[in-house]
Amino acid sequence: MKLPFGWRAKAPRRGQEGSRIQGHDRGVMAFSHTAEVIRAEAALKAAGLAVRVMGPPPDMRTGCDMVVEFELVREPLARRVLAEAKLSPLAVAPVRAGMLEPVSLYQIKDFGQWLMVRAANMKLTVDKDTRVIVNISGGGCPDVPALAELLVGQTLDAAPSPLATGQTLCAYALELAFREAQRQLPTHPQPTHPQPEHPRPEQS
Amino acid sequence: MAEITKIVDARGLSCPQPVLIASDEMAALETGRIEVLTDCGASPENVGRAAKAAGWRLVSSSEDKGTVRLVLEKP
Repeated sequence: MKLPFGWRAKAPRRGQEGSRIQGHDRGVMAFSHTAEVIRAEAALKAAGLAVRVMGPPPDMRTGCDMVVEFELVREPLARRVLAEAKLSPLAVAPVRAGMLEPVSLYQIKDFGQWLMVRAANMKLTVDKDTRVIVNISGGGCPDVPALAELLVGQTLDAAPSPLATGQTLCAYALELAFREAQRQLPTHPQPTHPQPEHPRPEQS
Repeated sequence: MAEITKIVDARGLSCPQPVLIASDEMAALETGRIEVLTDCGASPENVGRAAKAAGWRLVSSSEDKGTVRLVLEKP
């Protein structure tokens, strides 16, 4: 992975240009493959660190990869946690505001009979009545055709988890869209028609 | 060659709309031949996949000046 800042580039000092989320400089960690990103995210979150999986800055991007964004001031702790999980980031770099694209932003579009959920670069469309996945599009990662082949035509219950098959940013984004679709279209949907109110007990 | 039962002109629409319109027609017709026209890059593959999932077959695919013509069939 090409890094614009060099290996373990120093974070900008306070007051200099820098990303400030909750008042802290942010950095990104790059890993050799997506499975490690996902494991790192889980380990860091379990240790109480505020991390997010993001699309990398444009000049770090190699195609379908992801990075873990974290608070630079917590880097020593983050590294200890990762070492305990037998994970070693390929690179750590500070980032400027606006350089990262969060993977976990959803866009929901209602097409009447169908509901489309978009997470990052992936779109998943589901029949609202049958909960069958009718389309998967977006991405550009090599595993998207295989994922689509696997999921299209399956219900949200029967379809396998995208991350069980895919290993790219697209698979990760599709997993988020998949979970959001399951949340939007629960197995037993809430009645859309107003329910009669229970009669209130008479005030004595 | 059997006649086209229905033409779905999805030109100008972005994914997933061509897939959704084609799916609608497949469900409505149950059998026959559907011609789908699309100029959305990702749609031909997705329409073909949706057709397969719905029990239809992608009979042919051709491209002319940016428009892809797909023929779906279910005997």
